[in-house]
Amino acid sequence: MTRGLLIDLARCRGCGSCVTACREINRLPLDAPAERLDARTWTFLDHRAGLTVKRQCMHCLDPACASVCPVGAMHRSPDGPVVYDETLCMGCRYCMIACPFGVPRYEWDSREPRVRKCILCWEQRVRNGEKPACAAVCPAGAIAFGERQDLVDRARQRLRERPDDYVDHIYGLREAGGTSVLYLSPVPFAALGFPRVQEDRRYPGMTWAILEKMPAGWTVSGALLVGLWWLTGRREVMARVERGELSVDEAMQLAPPLAGGAGREEE
Amino acid sequence: MMKLVRLFGRLTLWKLVLGLLLIAGAYAAAVRFTQGLGAATNLSDAYPWGLWIGFDVLVGVGVAAGGFVIAATVHVFHMERYAAIARPALLTAFLGYLMVILAVLFDLGRPTRIWHPLVFWNPRSVMFLIGWCEMLYAIVLALEFSPLLFEKLGWTRPLRAVRKLMGPLVILGVILSVTHQSSLGSLYVIAPDKLHPLWYSGMLPVLFLVSAVAAGLAMTMFESCMSSRAFGRRLEGDLLRGLARAVVVVQAVYLVLRANDLLYRGALHYAFEATPEAVLFWGEIGLGSALPMVLLASRRVRYSNSGLFFAATLTVMGFIVHRLNVAVTGMAGWTGASYFPSVLEMTVTVSLVALGVALFGLAGRWLPVFPPAREERVPAWMIRRRPAAGGPFLTRPALFGLWVMVAVGAVGVAATGGLPALGGGRDAAEVAVAAAGGEESPRPVSADGELTLPPPWLFPAGEESPGPVRFDHRDHVDAGELGCRRCHPGLFLFTRSGAPAEGEIDADRAHDGDLCAACHDGETAFNTYDDCTLCHVDSDD
Ligand code: HEC
Ligand code: HEC
Ligand code: HEC
Repeated sequence: MTRGLLIDLARCRGCGSCVTACREINRLPLDAPAERLDARTWTFLDHRAGLTVKRQCMHCLDPACASVCPVGAMHRSPDGPVVYDETLCMGCRYCMIACPFGVPRYEWDSREPRVRKCILCWEQRVRNGEKPACAAVCPAGAIAFGERQDLVDRARQRLRERPDDYVDHIYGLREAGGTSVLYLSPVPFAALGFPRVQEDRRYPGMTWAILEKMPAGWTVSGALLVGLWWLTGRREVMARVERGELSVDEAMQLAPPLAGGAGREEE
Repeated sequence: MMKLVRLFGRLTLWKLVLGLLLIAGAYAAAVRFTQGLGAATNLSDAYPWGLWIGFDVLVGVGVAAGGFVIAATVHVFHMERYAAIARPALLTAFLGYLMVILAVLFDLGRPTRIWHPLVFWNPRSVMFLIGWCEMLYAIVLALEFSPLLFEKLGWTRPLRAVRKLMGPLVILGVILSVTHQSSLGSLYVIAPDKLHPLWYSGMLPVLFLVSAVAAGLAMTMFESCMSSRAFGRRLEGDLLRGLARAVVVVQAVYLVLRANDLLYRGALHYAFEATPEAVLFWGEIGLGSALPMVLLASRRVRYSNSGLFFAATLTVMGFIVHRLNVAVTGMAGWTGASYFPSVLEMTVTVSLVALGVALFGLAGRWLPVFPPAREERVPAWMIRRRPAAGGPFLTRPALFGLWVMVAVGAVGVAATGGLPALGGGRDAAEVAVAAAGGEESPRPVSADGELTLPPPWLFPAGEESPGPVRFDHRDHVDAGELGCRRCHPGLFLFTRSGAPAEGEIDADRAHDGDLCAACHDGETAFNTYDDCTLCHVDSDD
């Protein structure tokens, strides 16, 4: 049930309809320059190597931004789009650090700032069974919307049928463990400024591998510390008895585990 | 007036400076909270985290590590002689966390929602864990610190209760501290592509923990030296020497781990390239870790007050550089942008430190932070040249050393300013590939690149309309030159069928001057009044 986009850079004619449609549907200013992603530009056409490259959120299958958000403001909807709940966000901006594609943007100039990025028209359209605005308006058929598996099959078919028109790579198939947005390109992706990210590796797994071990760590270290506390405290009391500072009876009263804690600081 | 004098002591230059800094901080806070982050800081989409996270949070938490290490030494391992410096260390930690919390309030986009992680959970997030740990540890610290207040107020009952609980409390504090000190490193484990390989490592949590222990101990030494001077107390020399030995061991562990890690990841060669990153790396490792370790390993340095002070300062500075490298410099290569904190950001940071110092001074005056003087253990050979009370540690060699550090720091900053060059280097590589592959080759458009325009559209006809108006994109779009922009979004919206950019579709506008008539005026295209049927299909006239 994961739906996404297949963006075919060989078909894109650079008309910019997708950029305008995106701004329209998300009620973003229509006339702001669209040269990079920012709080008011969730997609734009990047001119690279003679091509126009539609940039936007990749909608990872296991998104780093969602896993790092301390309040769960970012999350992946069951349909695939990674969406954002602005009522939860407290503005720590860890999502911006964590995203391997560097997508989330912040409303720096606002006094009630939000994180901004493409949500694949989840709220306005996809939830109601419609295509995202960019896919709906693209006149060149460069943006296809559908089940991710179908899109992958379609991409493979294009690579098979016209191997000369494309580099043999589906960007997003394995990047960051897979994304819902896939790209085909006639030019190597590195030349188009696509970030090189880990393949077949889901980013949240990297920190989860550490977090997972925490409870065991707490138990072991807790037991160890209590043991040491008890032992050293006992030794301290014994030493005092030997030095004649405490009688045996008094020492018994201070018996561990509280022996160390009680006797000491009165001095 | 007399009361004020009693509270703060006599006015000195230092107090004046602190006061001015606090006023500047209040002004900066006013700007930050009324104008927002964009106006107050140089943070940007390329650098979402800057000085406040890099210094105030990462360094603030780190140097507060002295609190839990010393507390554990005294209360868990029962090395009771360190009790003499436990309270100042605890106070430092407490104030460190205060600074961190304030800095987080400054840094959060929506500071009033700082409580959200308590209610809205995401246990997969490292930040969530840190939030909880720091909150719980702040409570533990307050409890560990409470005996000072109770003593001052003479409340014996709660005093005894807290003392009974001290052992378990400190153990809890240690666990919480270890967790969040290391977790600050884990924060960056999720950014393997962004953080420069000299700093990125899967071992970051361990490295952060170990370096924080070293820095926390060094900070305790530093703070002892400072307060011995400020409060005219004798330096707890033998204890500081004990800490110094511990710093040597911890630094050695850190350096071995770091070297191992670089070798294992095959990233060592980055340290020998002529990049600003390499310079900062060596500054951090050489001047901030190796040099103070070597210094403190020598007995002569350990037995000299200025030596101790100097080495402790170096360690703390090295630590600061490491954290800033991770938070700011290490990211420069990936983002390709540069960041230098705004005056306001620096003001906030400096005044938060000033606030800490001021509170430390007040607490030192008014709470039993410093225990009564006790006999120092001095080896026989030292007795002849025993340092005087509150002995001079800001001697000429130490001052000279500090100036060298400042100079190195300035060079480092200058080098960071040159960092965009790095990003440029990456772009150059891309351009090279592009030139080889793309630029000259004709635009690759595949053969089945048929246009898929929306189907013809019938405007819902008004009552008096001679017939519904039919609009077909195929009459208007030329496959060679799409030109969607002539109508979208200026005249018509894409996303709501048939809706003009402004207002309703209106016959007068459609026939005269606007909408369809923007072109159908007899010049660009046929005039609306020429032939009604071209638009109004099925019309009678
Ligand atoms: C360029 C295309 C075009 C041409 C040519 C054109 N119209 Fe229209 N007309 C429209 C549009 C668009 C509307 C508004 C949509 C609607 O109400 O159907 C409209 C609306 C109308 C309406 C108003 C309907 C209402 O209820 O408000 C009348 C009456 C009308 N046209 C008459 C004419 C006549 C008479 C002619 C020929 C002299 C003509 N139009 C030529 C595009 C055209
Ligand atoms: C001559 C003006 C004009 C031009 C040029 C034009 N359009 Fe339109 N477009 C319209 C009008 C009028 C409508 C509203 C009628 C409609 O909804 O079909 C519209 C509607 C649309 C819709 C919404 C269709 C729907 O069913 O909601 C899409 C998508 C669209 N245009 C895409 C394009 C694209 C892509 C181009 C460039 C290739 C383009 N348009 C060029 C006038 C134009
Ligand atoms: C951006 C300018 C522009 C706008 C806006 C525009 N048109 Fe056109 N239209 C043209 C041009 C240019 C032609 C083709 C040249 C011609 O026939 O004069 C054309 C052709 C047509 C034709 C085809 C006539 C034929 O030859 O069969 C129809 C129908 C039409 N327009 C309807 C409309 C309607 C309805 C609207 C408003 C909803 C509209 N146009 C808005 C520029 C425009």
